[in-house]
Amino acid sequence: MGTYIVKRMMAIIPIFLLATLLTFGMIRLSPVDPAEAYLAAAHIQPTEEMLEQKRHEFGLDQPILVQYVNSIIKICQLDFGISYISNKPVWDEVTYRMPATIQLALGSILLAILVSVPLGFLAGIKKNSGIDYFSRFLAFFGASIPSFWLGYLLIFFFSVKLNLFPVEGIGTVQHLVLPSITLALPLIALYTRLLRASVLENLQEPYVLFARTRGIKESIIMGKHVLRIAISPMITGLGMNLGKLLTGTIIVEAVFSWPGFGRYFIEAIFNRDIPVIQCYVLLAVGLFLISNLIVDLIQMYIDPRISRKGGHSQ
Amino acid sequence: MSKRRTRTQVLSIFAIVIILSTLLLGCTNESKEDSASNKESKNTLTFAWPRDIGEMNPHVYNPSQLFAQSMVYESLVSYQDGGELKPQLAESWDISKDGKEYTFHLRQGVKFSDGTSFNADIVKKNFDAILKNVALHSWLGFIPKIDQTKVIDEHTFQLTLTEPYYATIQELAVVRPVRFLGEAGFPKNGDTSKGIEKSVGTGPWVLDEYKADEYATFKRNENYWGELPKVKKIKVKIIPDAETRVLAFEKGDLDLIYGEGVISLDTFKQLESTGDYETSVSEPVATRQLVMNTKKEQLSDVRVRQALQYGFNKQAMVDGITSGVEDKADYILPTTFPYTSNIDAQPIDYNVEKAKALLDEAGWKLPKGKNVREKDGKPLEVELMYDSAESIQKAMAETLQAEWAALGVKLNIVGVELTVQIQRFKGNDFDLNFFSNYGAPYDPHTFVNIVGSEGFGFKEAISSYPKKEELLQQITDVLKSTDEKERQKLYSSILTSLQEQGSIVPISYVKKVAVYQKDVSNFTFPANRDEHPFTGISIE
Repeated sequence: MGTYIVKRMMAIIPIFLLATLLTFGMIRLSPVDPAEAYLAAAHIQPTEEMLEQKRHEFGLDQPILVQYVNSIIKICQLDFGISYISNKPVWDEVTYRMPATIQLALGSILLAILVSVPLGFLAGIKKNSGIDYFSRFLAFFGASIPSFWLGYLLIFFFSVKLNLFPVEGIGTVQHLVLPSITLALPLIALYTRLLRASVLENLQEPYVLFARTRGIKESIIMGKHVLRIAISPMITGLGMNLGKLLTGTIIVEAVFSWPGFGRYFIEAIFNRDIPVIQCYVLLAVGLFLISNLIVDLIQMYIDPRISRKGGHSQ
Repeated sequence: MSKRRTRTQVLSIFAIVIILSTLLLGCTNESKEDSASNKESKNTLTFAWPRDIGEMNPHVYNPSQLFAQSMVYESLVSYQDGGELKPQLAESWDISKDGKEYTFHLRQGVKFSDGTSFNADIVKKNFDAILKNVALHSWLGFIPKIDQTKVIDEHTFQLTLTEPYYATIQELAVVRPVRFLGEAGFPKNGDTSKGIEKSVGTGPWVLDEYKADEYATFKRNENYWGELPKVKKIKVKIIPDAETRVLAFEKGDLDLIYGEGVISLDTFKQLESTGDYETSVSEPVATRQLVMNTKKEQLSDVRVRQALQYGFNKQAMVDGITSGVEDKADYILPTTFPYTSNIDAQPIDYNVEKAKALLDEAGWKLPKGKNVREKDGKPLEVELMYDSAESIQKAMAETLQAEWAALGVKLNIVGVELTVQIQRFKGNDFDLNFFSNYGAPYDPHTFVNIVGSEGFGFKEAISSYPKKEELLQQITDVLKSTDEKERQKLYSSILTSLQEQGSIVPISYVKKVAVYQKDVSNFTFPANRDEHPFTGISIE
C-alpha cells in the first residue's frame, strides 16, 4: 500500500511539468497581448510607451525560454507571482477564495451521495417499481436541465416567492442549500443510474445465488455484499466530479454570487492575467490527481480484490 | 477479519467527510447581516454592483471601481451639467495669460476622514506620487505636460505646464488618478501605484467593512465639509449575474440597481411596466458609433459611406433593440457636452432610394441575376466587427446586415472578445467597428485627440479624407487654444467635417438606467459619468 501511494505521487511530477508547458504555450498562442488587455480593462487607451512599460513590468520582454524557466523555479517555491490586474500575490487571492469553493463542492457532493445511494440501490433491487420509475424520471430531468436555468428557477420559487432561502451570497447553511441542489442534481441523475445498473449487474453474479443457497438473510446479501461491490463505479465517478467541483463552478458561482474560484478565474482569462491562469491550471491538475488518488484508495478499502491483484482483474 | 476492518474504515471515512463539511459550514455561520439590515433599512441603502470594488486607491485603475473611488476621494473641481466646472476642493483658480500656469486656491477647513488637514502640501504630495508613473497616466492629456508642482502657501497650489492645454481644469474633475489621499495612506516610499496603506479621503463616505467578492459597506463621513449625505450607510453587494440582481431586487434585498448595462434594457422596461418600482433614465452619457475604415477600398468613397447611412432605419433599429431606452443619435457626440452643440451638418435620414442612387453614382452597380453590387469585378462586401459579449452590438450588427443586403451590400458580421476588438481597431485590421466615446468629463477633447493621434485606430481609419491634414491641424490647435471663441469655432469645424465625411456614424446615445424601490427618493444621475449618485439620495 505504501509503495503504491509513493508510486502514484511520483507520477504527479511529470504530469505537472507537462501541464505547465501546455498552459505556458497556449497562453502565448493567444493573439491578445496581456499588457494591452490590462490597459483595456482599465478603459485606458494604451500608448506605445505604456505598453512597453507594462510588458517590462510583467517580464514579457524576455525570451520565452527564460520566462518559462523562471516561472517553473518560482512555482516550485509555491510562488505563483503577482496578479497583473490586482497587483496582489496570486496564491493569497486563491487561498482567500478556497474555503468558499470547498464548502460548495463538499455540500453538493454530500447531497448527491445522500440522495443517489439509497435511490439508486433501491431502484436496482426493486426494478420496475414506483421508486425505479421515480429514479428514471429524476435522472432524465437532472441530466437535461441546464444548471443556470435550474438556479434561476430555484431562486424564483424558493427565494423570491416563498422566501425560504436567500437569493445570493454566502454565510449561513441556508445560503448553501440552493446552489448545492443546483450542482447536485446532475450528479444525482448520473450516480443513481450508475448505481442502479451496477446493482442489477451484480444481482446476476454467482456469489448472490451462492449466498442465497447458504441461507444468508436477503438484507445482509444486499447490504453487505451487493451494495459494497456495486458502488465501485460510482466512486470512480465521484472522484472525477470532486476534482471538477473543487476547481470552481463558474455558472453556479455567478448565478448565486458565490465568492469562489470560478468567478475569479474566468475574469483572469478575459484579462489575460497569466500568473492567475497558470496557477489555476496547475491547481486544477493537482486537485484532479489528488482526488483521483483518494478515490482509488477508498476503492481499495471497499473492494480488497483491487489492491491484492494491483488491478481490476480477479 | 479483514472484511470487517475495511468496512469500519469506510464508515469512518464517510463520517469524517460529513463532520468536516458540517464544521466548515459552522465556521462561516456567523453573519446575521440580513436581519440586522432590515431594522436599520431607513439608514442603509443597499445596491448591487457586478464586480468587486477593488482596492480603494485613488491613483490606480482596474480592478478598482470608479463609483467607489469617487465616494471616498474628491477632486479639485467638479464637473456639472452641461460641462460647467464648479469648485470642489479648490474654491477658485487662476489661469495665466499664456495658459501654462494654474493657481488653485484651496478650500479651507477641509479635513480628511482621519482628522488631518487638507492643504497644499498634501496636494503636492499626491501630484508627485501620480507623476512617478507618468506613462501610466499619459492617456490623460495634461499629465505628461506637467512641468512642475509648487506649494505657494498653506492653501495655494500652483501647477505649471510645458505648453498650454485648455482642458486641464476639465481633466482635473475625472475620478482617477487626480484625487487626494491623506498622509496616512501613503506607503513609505511614496509610490502609491503598488498599493496604499489605508483609504483616507476627504469624500462624503468612508469604507467601513469589506469582504472581497461579497460586499462592502461605506459609512457617512460625519466630518464631511460639504452637504452631509441623508443615508448613514451604503451597502454594495457584489452580484455578478444580471438576472440574479433583478431577482434580489424583486425580493426586496436591494434598494437600487443603477449603471450602464447592469440589467438588460428589456428587463428594465419590464420592471418599469409592473408599476411597483421607480425608474429613471439619464441624459446621454456617450454616443454609440459605427466607424468605417476608409482605407478599405470599398469604403474609401464618401458616397458609399453616405449610402450606407441612408440605407438603414436608425430610428426603428435603436427603438427596437434598446426597447426605447436609448435615443437615436444624429451627432457624433451628445450635444449636451461642451462645444458640441454648434454642428453645421445635416443629419442623414432613412432613404433607401437615395442610398441606391448614391451607390450607382459611385460605380457600384448591381449585375443582372446577382444580389451583391460590383465595381470592376469586385463585390461590395465588408465586414463588421462587434464585441460578442455585448448583446446590443450583436443585434445591431444583424439588423445592419439585413438592411444593407437590400441595397446590394454584403455585410459579414464577426463577434470577437473585447480585447481582440480593441487590438484589431488599433491595428487598423477592420472594415467596420463599433465604438463609444468616453463621455463626461472626458469629451469632446479626448475624442478629437484620439481621432488625431497615431495608434488609436481613428487616424488610420479616416486617412482617405480629402481635407485630412487641415483636420489634424485643427485638432492640434484646439487643445492648445487659449481663446474661448476660437476654440468653439475649431470644435464646430472639426466635428462638422467628421460628420460630413461619414466615416464615423452616430447610432444612438448611451444612457444609464436606475431602478429603485418606492421608498427611495431624490435619486439623480451625476453629470460626471464615473461619479457615484448617492449624495442627495434618501429612504423614507
